[in-house]
Amino acid sequence: MPWAAALVIAAVTVVMCLPGVGVGLDVAAIARNWQQGALRIVELLTPDWTFFPRTVGPILETLQTAVIGTAVGAAISLPVSFWAARPTNPFTPTRALVRGILNVIRAVPELVYAAVLVAMVGVGALPGILALVLFNVGIVVKLVSESIDATDAGPLEAGRAAGGTQAQINRTIALPDTWPTFVSQTLYVFELNVRASTVLGLVGAGGIGLLIDAVRTYYRYDQLSLVILEILVIVVVLDTVSDAIRRRLV
Amino acid sequence: MTLLAPARPAALAVPARRRNPVRLIAGVIVTVIVLAAFWSADITWSRLGELPAEIMRYLGLMFLSPNGAKLPEALWQTWRSVEMAWIGTVLGILIATPLSLIAARGFGPAPVRVALRFVFSLVRAVPELVFAIIILSVTGLTPLTGALALAIGGVGTLGKWGYEAVENVAPGPIEAARAAGGSTTQVLRWGVWPQAAPTFFSFWLYRFEINVRASAVLGLIGVGGIGDMLTSYTQYREWSTVGMLLIVVVVVTVAIDAVSGRIRRRIMEGPRVR
Repeated sequence: MPWAAALVIAAVTVVMCLPGVGVGLDVAAIARNWQQGALRIVELLTPDWTFFPRTVGPILETLQTAVIGTAVGAAISLPVSFWAARPTNPFTPTRALVRGILNVIRAVPELVYAAVLVAMVGVGALPGILALVLFNVGIVVKLVSESIDATDAGPLEAGRAAGGTQAQINRTIALPDTWPTFVSQTLYVFELNVRASTVLGLVGAGGIGLLIDAVRTYYRYDQLSLVILEILVIVVVLDTVSDAIRRRLV
Repeated sequence: MTLLAPARPAALAVPARRRNPVRLIAGVIVTVIVLAAFWSADITWSRLGELPAEIMRYLGLMFLSPNGAKLPEALWQTWRSVEMAWIGTVLGILIATPLSLIAARGFGPAPVRVALRFVFSLVRAVPELVFAIIILSVTGLTPLTGALALAIGGVGTLGKWGYEAVENVAPGPIEAARAAGGSTTQVLRWGVWPQAAPTFFSFWLYRFEINVRASAVLGLIGVGGIGDMLTSYTQYREWSTVGMLLIVVVVVTVAIDAVSGRIRRRIMEGPRVR
C-alpha cells in the first residue's frame, strides 16, 4: 500500500514534468539563462543602500495597511465568531450559513481579492485593506469559533439554568472566556498580514509591493535586495514581539 | 412567630474589579498605534460611504451571469496551477526532509542545526512571490518558476515542522535502536521514522493545500496558471469572466482541501471505528 501510493505520486510527478501538459521544464533555456541568473544573484548580494530613503514611505504604508486591516478584521470577527460556534449559537441554519460563507471567503487568497478590488475601487491602500479584512475574518472566525466549540460547556449551562437569554450568556460568560484566544489569534493574523501586505502592492494595492514591482521591471536586483532585507527585518522583529506576547496570553 | 427567610442584605458586596496595569498600558499602546495608522493612512474616507453599493454592483456583474465560454481555458489554467503546486510540494519535500532531520536536536551537529533553523526562519519571512521574482531571471515566465518558488517557500515551513516532529517523538524506540548498536541513519530509520511518518505525511498534504492557494497567487506576476488568467480578465474588466474564474478557484480549492483534509485525518487518526 505505501509503495503503491509512492508509485502513484512518482507517476503524477513525471507526467507533470512532460512538455506540453507539464510545467514547462526546459533545461536548455535554463542553461542559456544561467549566466544571467548568476549575474542577478551577484546583484542581490550587493544591496543598494542609497535606495533606503525611498523605501521608508512605502514601508510605513505597508505597516499601516497591516494594522488597519487587522484592527477592522478583528472588530468584525469577534461577533461573527459567536455566530459560527455551536455553544453560542445553537440555531443550526444561521450557524451553517455563516460557516459556509466563511469557507468560501477562505478559499480565495488575499492577493486575488486585492487584484479584483484594485479594479473595483482603484489603486491605493484601500483595496489592500479590504483584501486583508476579508482574509482576516475568514481565519480569525474559524480559529476562534473552533476554540469556543472546544470550551467547557459547564459555565454556559449554568448561565442557561439561571435563566439567561442566549445574548446574555454570550456576553457575560462566553466573551470573557474567548478573550485570550481572540487576542492571540488576532496577533497571529497580524503576523500573516505583515507578510501579506508586503506583496499586496504587486497587484497595485499600495505599500512596499509597488516598489518591488517597479524595481523588478527595471531589473534593479540590487535595490530589490535592499527591499527584501527590510521585509526580513520587519517580519522577524514583529514575529518575535507578537510571539512573546502570545506566549504570555495562552 | 418565626421568620421564614432571612432578611435580604441591604447591598451585595461586589468585589472590586481587579486592575492589571500591564494590560491597561498594552491597551493604550495598541489603541494609539491603530488610531495613528487610521489617521495617517492615505485613504479618501468620504468614498467609503458609496463603497458597499459599488461592491454590490460589481458582485452582480460578476456572479449574476458568469461567462461559461472561457471555462475550458480556465480548467486548463487551473490544471497548470495545480501542477505548479504539486511539483513545488514534491521538490520541497525532497529538499526539506533530509534538512529537517539534520536540524533536529540530537541528530545533526549543533552549529549546522542552528544555521539550518536560521535559514528556515529566513525563508519563512520572505513571501513566495519574491522568490518567484528572483527565480524568473533564470527560468523565465513559466509555471516552473512558480513551482521552484513554492519549493523554496516549502523548505521553510516543511523544515520547521519536520524537525519539530522529529523532536516530539517518544525517546524509547530511539534509545532502543541506539542500544542495539544502530548508526545515526539506522536510529532515524527504525527509531524515529515509524513514529514521525504520519505527522510528516500530514504536513506534506497540508503544504500541498497551501501551495494550491499560493499557486493561484503566483499567477499574478505572470508565471501562468489561473492567477495569470484572473489578472488579465480583471484588467480587461470582463467581469462575467472574472466571476466564473473566481467560482473555479473556490470550487477547486475547497475540493482539494476536502480530499486532502480527509486523507490527513485518516493518516493521523486511523480508520474510523464502527
